[in-house]
Amino acid sequence: MKPERSILPQHTITYVFLTLLSLFVVFPMLIAVSQSFMTNQEVNRWPPQIIPLEPTLESIRTVLTQQDLRLDLWLRNSLIAATGYTAAVLLLCAPAAFAFARLKFPGNNLLFGFLLVTIMIPSQVTLIPNYLLMRDLQWLDTFNALIFPGAANVFGVFLLRQFFIQVPTDLEEAAVLDGAGYFGRFWHVILPLSRNALTALGIFVFLFHYNDLFWPFIVTNSLETRTLPVGLAILNSSYAGQYRPMVLSGAVLSSIPILIVYIIFQRQIIQGITLTGMGGR
Amino acid sequence: MNHSKNAKNARARRFSLSLKSREILAAYAFLAPFMAFFLIFVVRAVVEAVRMSFYDWHILRPMRPYIGIDNYLELVNDSVWWISLQNTIVFTVLTVIGTTIVALAAAVAVTRPIRGQGFFRVLLYMPSLLSVGAVGLIWVWLLNTQFGIINYGLSFIGIRPVNWLGDPNLVIPSLSLTTIWWGFGFPMLIFIAGLQGIPEQLYEAARIDGGSDRDLFLYITLPLLRPTILFVTVTGVISHFQVYGQPFIMTTGGPGRSSYSLIFYLYQIAWTAFRMGYGAAVAVCIAVIMAVLTSVQFLVLSRRIEY
Repeated sequence: MKPERSILPQHTITYVFLTLLSLFVVFPMLIAVSQSFMTNQEVNRWPPQIIPLEPTLESIRTVLTQQDLRLDLWLRNSLIAATGYTAAVLLLCAPAAFAFARLKFPGNNLLFGFLLVTIMIPSQVTLIPNYLLMRDLQWLDTFNALIFPGAANVFGVFLLRQFFIQVPTDLEEAAVLDGAGYFGRFWHVILPLSRNALTALGIFVFLFHYNDLFWPFIVTNSLETRTLPVGLAILNSSYAGQYRPMVLSGAVLSSIPILIVYIIFQRQIIQGITLTGMGGR
Repeated sequence: MNHSKNAKNARARRFSLSLKSREILAAYAFLAPFMAFFLIFVVRAVVEAVRMSFYDWHILRPMRPYIGIDNYLELVNDSVWWISLQNTIVFTVLTVIGTTIVALAAAVAVTRPIRGQGFFRVLLYMPSLLSVGAVGLIWVWLLNTQFGIINYGLSFIGIRPVNWLGDPNLVIPSLSLTTIWWGFGFPMLIFIAGLQGIPEQLYEAARIDGGSDRDLFLYITLPLLRPTILFVTVTGVISHFQVYGQPFIMTTGGPGRSSYSLIFYLYQIAWTAFRMGYGAAVAVCIAVIMAVLTSVQFLVLSRRIEY
C-alpha cells in the first residue's frame, strides 16, 4: 500500500530544505532571464538590479540580428546533428546488441568482453586522430563530422544487450515457427518489446550530443556550421566585455527549446535518464 | 540401404551445419555496421594516437620526424601539465563531494511522502539540461566581482567583494560550485532510484522499535545506499575528470593557469599550438590515468555483489 502523501508539520524541514534548494536552482536562471531584458547600464550597476526597471527587448533583438551571430542556424544545426547522431547510435547499436544477446557465433563473449574493456579508453585519446581524419576526408564543417565519429557507442551496445537478454525467448520461438528469420526476430519481436530501452538510450545520447562542446568546437569553423553550445562560446568571447545583457539573452534563448521539450516530456526524460544512468540494472 | 543411411546422415549434418553457419553469418551481418565504425573511429584512432605520440608532428610542418619517447620526457618536465593535473584533481574532488552530498540530500527530500514530489524532482533536474555554454555565461555574471549578485548577497552579512574567478585560490572552488549547480540532477535521479529500492518494511520495523528519523537515515538508508553512493562517486570522478567547458567558457584557464584542466590543456596544445604529436602524448597519458580510475570503478562496483 502506498503511504499517503501529506503536508503535515512533520515534513516542515523537508519543505524548507526543498524550497531553499529550489531557490538555489531557479534563482540563477531567473536572474539571467531578468537581465536579458535590461540595458547594458542597468546590468553594470551597483547594487545589482534584480528586476529590470524599464524592461527592454534591445539585447534580445541585437542577439537575433547581429551579423556574426546566427542563433537560428545554430539551433537548426544542433537539432540536425543531435537527431542524426541519435539515429546513428540506435541503428548501429541495436543490431550489434541483438547479435550479442541472442545469436551464437564463435567469439561472442570474447568480442563483447573486448568492447567492454574499451569503455575504459576515454574518448579524448581518439580526438586528435579523428580530427585529422575528418580533415583528410574534408568532413570539417559538415554534419558527417558531427554525427559519425562518436556513433559506435559501446555503452549503447552494453545497455541494449542488457534489455534484449531480458526479453523472454518464447516470443521469438513463436515467431520462428511462423517463419520469421533472424531479421524478423530482431525487427518484429525484440525491437517493439524494447521500446522503453531504445527511447531511454535515445534521450540520453540526444541530450549528451545536443550539449556537447569540445568536438563540435574543433570540427566546425564557419559561422553557418556551428552548433548552439559552440555559438554561445563565441558569443561570449566577442560580446561579454562590451554588452553583457546580449550574452545573457543568448544563454536564455538557446536554453528555451530544450526546456520546452523537457516540460512536455518530463516523465519520459526523467525515466530515460534514470534507466540509462543505472546501466539497465 | 547402408549407403542411403549414410547419405541421409550427411544431409542432416550438412543441414545442421548450414543452420549453425547461417546463424554465424547472421550474427556477423548484425555486427558489421557497428564494428566498421568501431574499428575506424575507436581502434584505428587509439592506435594512431599512440603512434603519433612518438613523432614530432606539427600540423603546419611537412616533416614529422620520429623522436622516440621525447614527447613523454617533455611531459614529465612540463610544469603546465602538472598544474593542470593538480587543478583537475582538486576540481574533481570538490565537485564529486559537493555533488554527492547535494544530490543525496535532494533525493532523500523528494522521496519523502509529501505533496509536490514530482514537481520538485522536475524542477531540480532542470539545470542539467542546459549546455555548459549557457551555464557558464550565467554563472560568470553571478560570480562577477563588481556587479555580481553573489557578492551583493554577501555584502549584507558584511563580506567585502570576493574575486571569485580572478583569485587563483578561489577559481577552482568557484568552477566546482557552478558544476554542482549544473550537475547534481543526474546523481539525484540515481539516488532516487536507489532509495526506492529500499523496502519500506525496514523503516516501519525501525519506527516500531522507536528509531528517530536520524537513526533511520544513519542505520538503514546510508548502509543500504552504499552501492549507489559508490556508483555515483566513481562515475562522477570519471565524468568530472574530463572537465573542459567550464574553464573554457568562464575563465579561459585563468587567472594565469590557475584553472587549466587536463582536457583544456590538451586543447591548447593540439588546436592552439598545433602540436599534434605532443598532444597525442598528453592524450595517451590522460587516457592511462582515466583507465586506472575506471578499473578502480570496476573493482569497487563488482564488490557490491557481496552485499
